[in-house]
Amino acid sequence: MKHEREAFGFLGFLLILGTLYFALIETGPAKFFTAPNAQKLFYLHVPSGLITYLAFLMVVGGSMVFLYNGSEYADNLAKSSTELGIVFGFMSLASGTFWMKAEWGGDIVNRFLTDMRLATTLAMWLLYIAYFVYRRQPDTLQVKKNAAILGLSGMLMVPLSYLSSRYLRSHHPVIVGTEDQGSLDPSLRFGLYLGLFGFLFIFIFLLKFRMVIEEMERNILKSKMEKI
Amino acid sequence: MRLLALFLTILLFSGSSLAECRNKDCMTAQFELETMGHTFHYDEVFNIGTNWYIIFDYPENNTNKTITFEFYNGISKVHEYDNDLVTDSISFSGSTFNEEKLNLVLNITITSEDNSTSDFNLKIDINKPPADDLFYLWGGMTVFWTAIGAYVLYISSKFTKLRDK
Repeated sequence: MKHEREAFGFLGFLLILGTLYFALIETGPAKFFTAPNAQKLFYLHVPSGLITYLAFLMVVGGSMVFLYNGSEYADNLAKSSTELGIVFGFMSLASGTFWMKAEWGGDIVNRFLTDMRLATTLAMWLLYIAYFVYRRQPDTLQVKKNAAILGLSGMLMVPLSYLSSRYLRSHHPVIVGTEDQGSLDPSLRFGLYLGLFGFLFIFIFLLKFRMVIEEMERNILKSKMEKI
Repeated sequence: MRLLALFLTILLFSGSSLAECRNKDCMTAQFELETMGHTFHYDEVFNIGTNWYIIFDYPENNTNKTITFEFYNGISKVHEYDNDLVTDSISFSGSTFNEEKLNLVLNITITSEDNSTSDFNLKIDINKPPADDLFYLWGGMTVFWTAIGAYVLYISSKFTKLRDK
């Protein structure tokens, strides 16, 4: 399809508009929350967190394949996914911080140091910032290999962050795979899925776009090298 | 970009200046358990969203082992006496309650070293302050649009430069 990438972006944009309409206008202030208005962040905070995990798992997958067979496509995928993981991770961490401030109160820095979900997620995000910074130098084979090894650390960091609120000390709520999942109000679930698919489509659009740019950069570099 | 980062930082940390007071001076009520020489300082109003503290002075020559604070809904905290201290405190998170309630009973049970217990009740009101969290909602929402917008601008300018080459 000629405009497949743009179609994903447009669809994602529409779904996010729908999520905003649903969260801010269709449903009233949430019950049983200290901060009933800030709870609306839920519909975009959770999807952005899940997309962050997806992006970093793609970095792990791409890095693995690159180390196995040296695939340029896999390396491109890992590099592009890192950038998107950082963007969505920032969205998740920052929006979560606003929500946390309204709902739980207290000192933000202290919470990031003592709540294991927050600490491990921030550590995971910083790790991929390190990957991103490392890849800002010229792409030699050695740089790609080192970056791939760094990218593999997500194998540990992603599950650690995801499972930390279940098994380590954390106030962060857990919904997926618990009794609370069944008790999640259907309207809440609808808004959540709307936001999730919206961000997923935007993620696909941005990833495809970023990979095209990376491909162009590599081709330009290759042609320059051939001229030399 | 720098201005945005500055704005977000100010927005996030602005609330921290409204630190919760943990001093006896801030407590509006005092209860003295004369039989044990125990004094409790607390706020009669539990504001939802703000941590609630109860400060207690140890009796002289303390022989108590634990003190239990229990609300009617089963939420409780058990605290062990530390005889190196003169004054101690415990707190309940601001999210302990989500509905207003008047004259809520807080049962306090003191267990001494020989496991004998004595208990008494304090009454407090649960207050739900008007929602002032719209500030945080818009702050949080701003994050999504600025992050995606900034990234789209970044890759678009990169794409334009490369295409020109």
